[in-house]
Amino acid sequence: MDYLLSIVVLACINMIAVLGLSVFTGFTGLFSFGHAAFVGVGAYASSVLTYYYSVPFPLALAVGAAAAGAVSLVIGIPTLRAKLRSDYFAIAILGFGEALRVILENLDITNGARGLPGIDSFTTLPIVLLCLAVGVIVARNFLRSRWGVACVAIREDPVAAEMSGVRLFRTRLLSLVVSAVYCGLSGGLLAHFLSFIQPVMFTLIQSTQLLAAVIAGGMGSITGPLIASFVFIALPEALRVAQIWRLVAYGLLLVLIMVYRPQGLMGYSELSSLWKKRTTETTGTRP
Amino acid sequence: MLLQTLITGLSIGGIYALMAVGYSLVFSVLNFSNFAHGAVIMLGAYVGLALATKLNLGFGLVLAGSVAGAGIIAVLNEKLAYSSLRRRKAPSLYLMISAMGCAVFLENLVYATIGSRFYAFPEFFGRQVVTLWGSSVSLLDVGAFLFALLAILGLHLFIGRTRTGIAIRAGVCDMTMCSLMGVDLDRLIAIVFLLAGAFAGVAGVFLGIKYLVYPTMGWVTNKAYIAAVIGGLGSLPGALAGGLILGMVETFVSTYVSSVLRDVFSFTLLIAFLVWRPNGLMGIDGEDKV
Amino acid sequence: MTSSTGPLFSVQGLTKHFDGIRAVDSFSFDVAEGSITGIIGPNGAGKTTVFNIVTGLYRPTAGSVLFRGETITGLRPDKVVRKGIARTFQNIRLFNRRSCLDNVLTPLFQREKCSFLGSLLGTPGTRCQERNLRERAVELLEVLGLARFASTQADNLPYGFQRKLEIARALATEPSLLLLDEPAAGMNPEETRGLADLIAEVRERFKVTILLIEHHMDLVMNICSPIVVMNFGALLARGTPDEVRADPAVVAAYLGKGKGRR
Repeated sequence: MDYLLSIVVLACINMIAVLGLSVFTGFTGLFSFGHAAFVGVGAYASSVLTYYYSVPFPLALAVGAAAAGAVSLVIGIPTLRAKLRSDYFAIAILGFGEALRVILENLDITNGARGLPGIDSFTTLPIVLLCLAVGVIVARNFLRSRWGVACVAIREDPVAAEMSGVRLFRTRLLSLVVSAVYCGLSGGLLAHFLSFIQPVMFTLIQSTQLLAAVIAGGMGSITGPLIASFVFIALPEALRVAQIWRLVAYGLLLVLIMVYRPQGLMGYSELSSLWKKRTTETTGTRP
Repeated sequence: MLLQTLITGLSIGGIYALMAVGYSLVFSVLNFSNFAHGAVIMLGAYVGLALATKLNLGFGLVLAGSVAGAGIIAVLNEKLAYSSLRRRKAPSLYLMISAMGCAVFLENLVYATIGSRFYAFPEFFGRQVVTLWGSSVSLLDVGAFLFALLAILGLHLFIGRTRTGIAIRAGVCDMTMCSLMGVDLDRLIAIVFLLAGAFAGVAGVFLGIKYLVYPTMGWVTNKAYIAAVIGGLGSLPGALAGGLILGMVETFVSTYVSSVLRDVFSFTLLIAFLVWRPNGLMGIDGEDKV
Repeated sequence: MTSSTGPLFSVQGLTKHFDGIRAVDSFSFDVAEGSITGIIGPNGAGKTTVFNIVTGLYRPTAGSVLFRGETITGLRPDKVVRKGIARTFQNIRLFNRRSCLDNVLTPLFQREKCSFLGSLLGTPGTRCQERNLRERAVELLEVLGLARFASTQADNLPYGFQRKLEIARALATEPSLLLLDEPAAGMNPEETRGLADLIAEVRERFKVTILLIEHHMDLVMNICSPIVVMNFGALLARGTPDEVRADPAVVAAYLGKGKGRR
C-alpha cells in the first residue's frame, strides 16, 4: 500500500512538471531540453531553506518555485530576444540546463555531487493532489486568458500573431517563466518526498523524459500530457521494469512517436472535447 | 607552460574536430543537429574495442573495422529514424527530437546490455611521448591531430572535386532542386551519413584509446557538438577550426582558471554563439522569407 | 475625423535591398483618408515587400513611413498594429488549429487591459471580461457572414471564407488603415464581386481607409481610386482607373493591350 502510494505521489509530482512544460511547448510551441534544470532549482532552493534555515514548508515551496522562475529569465531573455530558430533554442536551453547542473555539483551549500540527504519529508499525497488540482485550474485559466490566447497564436503563426497585436518576446518569456515556476514547484515537492536530491537527477535525460511526455500526450492538450506522464511513471513500476530499461523504452518511444504519430495521444484536443465531439457527431450538428 | 597548454589543447582539439565533422556534415545537408551522432561515436568505439580485444587485430584493422561499423550504423540510423520524417518535410526540430530519442535509446541499450564498466583499448601507442619545442605530447595526440587534419582535408577535397561531392554541395543548397535534377536523394543522404559515421568511428577509437570506452562517452553534452557550433554548423573547415579552438580554450580555462568552471565555460560559449553568432565562425547563412 | 493637414498615410523614398536585389526602389506615394487605394504591378514588383516594410516585418534600407503625421518606420509589428494599421497576407496566415471565434478573439484580447492575477484565479470580473469579448467576436463574425463557423476550426473553412476570416481578424484590431494583400486570390468572378461589396461595406461600417494589392483587374478598376502601379520596385504610374488604363507605360509593363479588356 505504501509502495502504491509512493508511485501515485511521484506520478503526480511528475505531472505538475509536465503540465508546466506543456504550457511552454504544447501551447506556445517552443521546445526545451532543459526544463529538468528548473525542477532542480526548485528542489535545491526549497531544500536549502528547510534544511538550513527551518523555513516553513509552504513558504519554501513558493520560494523554490519563484527561484526557478527567476532563473529561467537568465536563459530566457537573451535567447528569446535573439529569436533563435526552434532547434537552436532547444539546444541553448539544453546547454543552460547542463551548466546549471555543473554549478549545483560544485556549490558547498548544495553539498556538491554527493547530494543533499536528510531533507524533511513534508510532501504527502493530499498536498500533492492539491497542488496538482490547483495547477490544472490555473493552467486552464492561463490558457483562456489574454496571455494564453497570445501564446497559442504564437504557436500557430508568429507573424500573424504579431499582426494581431501580440508582443512576441514578452509573451514567450512569460510562458517560459510560468513553465519554470511549475517545474520549480514540482522540484520542491520531489525533494521533500524523496528526502534526498542529487544534481544527477536533473539532467538532460530527465528533461528529455518531460518533453517525451508532452509530445506523447499531445501538444496543445492539457489532459494528454497528464495521462502520458502518469503512464510513464506508473506503468514501468507496474511491470517491474528495471530503471535502465525504462530509459531504453523512452528513447525508442520518442523515435516511434516522431516517426509515426507526432501529434501524440490527444493531438490538439482535450479528453473533454473528444467526448463532446462524440455527442455532436451522433446528433449530426457538426458544421 | 603556455606552450604546453597550447599543445595539450590542440591535441584534444584534434579529437573534438573529428567528432565535430560528423555533426557538420549532416547539418550541412539536412539542416538539423543529429544528436545521435555521439551514440554512433560510442558504438564505433565499442566495435573497435571488440575487434582489438576479441580478435586481437592491429591498430589499422581496428580503425578500418570501426569506420565500417560506425558507417553502417549511421546509415541504418538515418533510414529508421529520419528518412520518413525527411520525406514528409518535417521541421528540423522534429528530426532533432528523433535524434535525441535515438541517442537515449542507444546509450542506454549499451548500458543495459554490455554494462557500465569502463573498458580500455590495448596500448596501441604505448606511452611514447614526443617532444616539441620543449613541451611533451603523447604520440596518440599527435596521431589524432594529424589524422584529423588529413582526413578533413581529404573530405574537403572529396566534396570539392568528385561528382558525389558536387551532388552533396548541390543538396546543401537546395534539396528539392537537387532531386529534380535527377540526383538520387536517398542514395546521396546515405552516402553523407556513411561519411559522417566513418568519421565517428575514427573519433570513437581515438577517444577510446585516449580515455576509456563507456556507454556515455559520446553523450550529447560532450564537447563535440559545441565545437561544431563554434566552427559553424555545416562547415567542414569550421568543424576543424571549432574543434581546435574549443580544445585550446578549454585547456586554458582548465589550467589557468579552474577545471570546474571549464564545463560551465564551454556551455556558456555554446549559448553565446547560438545567440549572437549562430553560424559560428565559418558557417553558412540562411534568412527566412516572410 | 478627416485631417485636412495631409494624407492619412504616406511612404517616402522607400528602398529595400536584399543582397544586391532592389526589391523596392525609392518608392513614394500617399493615401488619403477614407479612400480605397489599389496597388498593382507584375509579380515581383515589390508590392508585398512594401506591405512588409510598412507593418514592421522588414526594416527598409532607406526611406520612411508616415502615419497620421507620425514616423512609424522600423517600428515592431505589434506596435504598428497598435498605431492603427492592420493587414491580411498573400498566403493566408490564420491560427489554423483555433476556431474562427478564437482567431478573432486574439486581437480583441490584446487590446484589453486584463489583470494577470485575476485571469489566473478566474475571478468573476475576468470571466465577465472574457464573455464580453467573446460576444464582440461573434458580432464581428456576423458582420462578415461567418457567424455559423464560430466554433469551426479555421483550417476546415472553405478557402473563400478563410480569406474573410483573415479580414475579420484584421478588423478586430480596430484599424484606421487596412492593408489587404491579394484578397481575391483564388476567387471566381462571382466571389470577387462579393468581395468588392464586402470591401465597400467594411469601409463604410468600420470607417477604415483601405490599401489593396491585387491582380484581379476587374476588382481593382471597379472599387479603387487612386491606383498606384509598381514595377521593379519603383513607382510607374499613379492615377484614377481610367488614367492608369490609358497610360502607355503601364500597358506595356503590365496590363497588355488585349481585346477590349475592361
